[in-house]
Amino acid sequence: MKRLCCTILVVYSLVVHAQEKDTTSASLQEKVTELKEQADGLNEQLLTLTPIVDALKKIKISGYIQSQFQVADADGVGSFAGGNFAAGVHSRYQVRRGRLKVNYDNDLTQFVLQVDATPGGVAIKDAYVSLKEPWTRTFGLTAGVFDRPFGFEISYSSSNREAPERTRMYQTLFPGERDMGAKLEITPPETSPMNWFNFKAGFFTGMGPTAQENDNYKDLIGRAGFLLPMRDAGLEIDGGVSWYLGKVRSNQRAVYKMDGDAKTFAYDSTVANIGSYFDRTYIGADVQLYYEIPVLGGMTVRGEYISGKQPGTGGNSATSNYSSFYNVAGTALYQRNFSGFYVNYVQNVGLSNQFIVKYDEFTPNSDASSNDIGATTPVGKIALTAGDLKFTTLGLGWIYHWDSNVKFTIYYDMVTNDKVNSSAPAVLAAFKDDIKDNVFTARVQYKF
Amino acid sequence: MKMFITVILTASLFLGFAMPSADVITVKGSDTMVILAQRWAEIYMAKHPGVTIQVTGGGSGVGISALINGTTDICIASRPMKQSEINKLKARFNVLGVEIKTAKDGLSIYVNESSPVREVSIDQLKKIYTGEITNWRDVGGPDAKIIIYGRENSSGTYVYFKDNVLDGADFSPMTQTMPGTAAVVNAVAKDKLGIGYGGAAYGKGIRYANVKKDAKSPAYEPTEENIKNGNYPIARYLYMYTRNRPTGALKSFVDWILSAEGQQVVTKVGYFPVR
Repeated sequence: MKRLCCTILVVYSLVVHAQEKDTTSASLQEKVTELKEQADGLNEQLLTLTPIVDALKKIKISGYIQSQFQVADADGVGSFAGGNFAAGVHSRYQVRRGRLKVNYDNDLTQFVLQVDATPGGVAIKDAYVSLKEPWTRTFGLTAGVFDRPFGFEISYSSSNREAPERTRMYQTLFPGERDMGAKLEITPPETSPMNWFNFKAGFFTGMGPTAQENDNYKDLIGRAGFLLPMRDAGLEIDGGVSWYLGKVRSNQRAVYKMDGDAKTFAYDSTVANIGSYFDRTYIGADVQLYYEIPVLGGMTVRGEYISGKQPGTGGNSATSNYSSFYNVAGTALYQRNFSGFYVNYVQNVGLSNQFIVKYDEFTPNSDASSNDIGATTPVGKIALTAGDLKFTTLGLGWIYHWDSNVKFTIYYDMVTNDKVNSSAPAVLAAFKDDIKDNVFTARVQYKF
Repeated sequence: MKMFITVILTASLFLGFAMPSADVITVKGSDTMVILAQRWAEIYMAKHPGVTIQVTGGGSGVGISALINGTTDICIASRPMKQSEINKLKARFNVLGVEIKTAKDGLSIYVNESSPVREVSIDQLKKIYTGEITNWRDVGGPDAKIIIYGRENSSGTYVYFKDNVLDGADFSPMTQTMPGTAAVVNAVAKDKLGIGYGGAAYGKGIRYANVKKDAKSPAYEPTEENIKNGNYPIARYLYMYTRNRPTGALKSFVDWILSAEGQQVVTKVGYFPVR
C-alpha cells in the first residue's frame, strides 16, 4: 500500500511539474513575442524619427557672451579697447558682445543669421546665404551681410581672438568688420593638389552692414591666400595678399587733399566735386606662423601690414557712413594716405594658459610727421589735426581656459601717441605729451 | 602696469599652471578602433601598472572635437583630420596636431550570409548608397529591395565612405543609420536584404562582398595581402592624433603601439599592421 501511495505521489508530482514547465515555457514564449512586438514598434518609431532628427541636426546654434570690467588711466578717455569711456568715468562694466548664431547647414547650402544682443541694443552681425557647386565643390557664392574678405584679423572670430579687441588700424578701416554684398570663393577640396590655395573676392556697398546704399559704385574686396603646412616639423605658415578697390562719393564741393610739400591739407572747392568719386583703396599682406615649442606648447606669430588711401573727415580718418556725412558742414572729405601694421605673439603653456604680446601701429597720415601737426600753417592751407596723429599700442595679456566653454582674460593696453609740434594750439595741447589712455581689461567669456 | 603684473602673478599662483597628468591617458574617438584601443590599453596597463588608460568611443568626429576641446589626450580616428578641424586646433592651441598612423583597415562591405551577391564595384556601391540602385537584381541578386545600413555622420567610417565611395555625394535618405559598426554588422546579419559597411575587424557572422575598382577590374577580398599591395580599392589608415608631440607616459604608450608587440595586437584584433 505504502509502495502504491509513493508511486502515485511520484507520478502526480511529475505530472504537475511537467505542466508547470509547459506553463512557464508558454508564458516565456508569450513574453518574448510581446517584447519582440514592442521592439518592432520602437524600431518603426525610430525609422519615423530618424529623418526628423537628421533634419534637426542641420540646425547648429552657437554663441558667446563676453562680460568685462575695465579701468582706464583717466576719466573719459578715447579708447579702442571697447569704445570711449564716458565723461567723468575711468572704470566700467560692459557686456562687450552677446552673440547668438543660427546656422542651417545643408552641406552645399547654408543659411546663417547672427545677432549681437547687449545692453546697448540688438544688431544684426551676419545674415547671409552660402552656396557651393556640387560638381567639384571648389566654387562657392555668398550673398548678404558678412565679413569683408580682407586680411586675417577680420575673419578671426572675437571669441577665439586672444587680444580683447582688433587693432586700431582694423577698427578704423573696417568698423563692424562686415559689409553688404556678394563674394565668390575658390577653396579647392582637401584631396586636390591645389588645396594650399584659396581665393575670395566680391563686390560690396562699402557702407557697412546696415547703412543704405548711397551710390552705384560697388567696392571690390578680395584676398588670395595660401597654407603651407609642414606637419612633420610641427610648423605651418599661412598668409595672403588682400586688396580693397573702392570709391566714395562726395556730396559737397569742399574736399581736402594732402599737399605733400607743405605738409598740410589743400582745400579744393571745385563745384565738380559734388557727386564726384574719390578713392578708398587699400593693399595688405598678412602672414601667420604656427610652431610647437617642445615641452612648452604651441605658439603663433601673426603679422599684417596695410597701406592705402582713406577718405575720412577733418578730425578722424575712420571709415564712416558716407551717405550723408559729407553734407554736414565741417565734416567734408579729407583724403589721406595711411599705413599700419601689427605683430602678435601667442604662447600656449599647458592645456589652460595662453600668454599674449601684441604690438600695433597706425599712421593715419603717412605724408606728414607728428612734428608737422600743430606747426604753423602756411596761408591758404588747412592745418593737420589730431586725426593725423600716429598711435602705437603694446598689449600684454594672459588667458586662462577654465574649461572648454569658459575662459578668463586679463589684458593691458599701453597706448602711446606721437607728440605734436611744441607750438601746437590749445586744441592739440593734450597731445604734446603721451595722453593717459592705457586700459586694463578683465574679461570672462562663455562660449557654446 | 604694476596692477596688471600683480593681477597676473596672483591669479597664476591661485590657479596654477596645471599640466595634464602624465599617468592617466584618455583615448577617445572612432568606434571602428575602440576595440583595438581597448586591447592596447589592457595589455599596456598590465605591463605598466602605474599608468591608467581610459578608452571611450563615440566616433572619430567626437574624438577630434574632444582633442580640440582639450578633453582627451589621444584621439583615435578612422579618417584623417579635416582642414577645418586643424584650423580649430590652431585657433585654440596654436598647433597642427600630431598624426600617427597605427594600423591599416580594408573598409569591408557586409551582406547577409544567405545573399548570393559575391562582389560589387565602387560605382555600384555609390549607386546603392545614393539611392540610384534600389533592387538587388541590378547587382546580381534576387528581385528584392536593398535595405541599406550606414553610420552616423560623427563617424570617421561615414566620412571616409562618403568621400571615397560616394565622391562626396549625399547618402540616400533610406539609409538606416546605426550607432556603431557592430550595430551595422548585427543589422545585416539579421536582414537577408541588408548591406552595410565597416571595419574588417567587425566582420564576424556575416559575409564580405568582394570589391572591384570598376566593372572591368577583378574583385578583391579585404585580406592583408590585398590591402598591403593596394589591390583592395577601399583601404584606409587608422590614426591616432595628439595635440602636441607626445612626451612622457603618452610617448611611451604611442611608441609601444608602434612597436612589434603593439602591432601584433593590431593583427589579433583583425586589422593590418603598419610596420
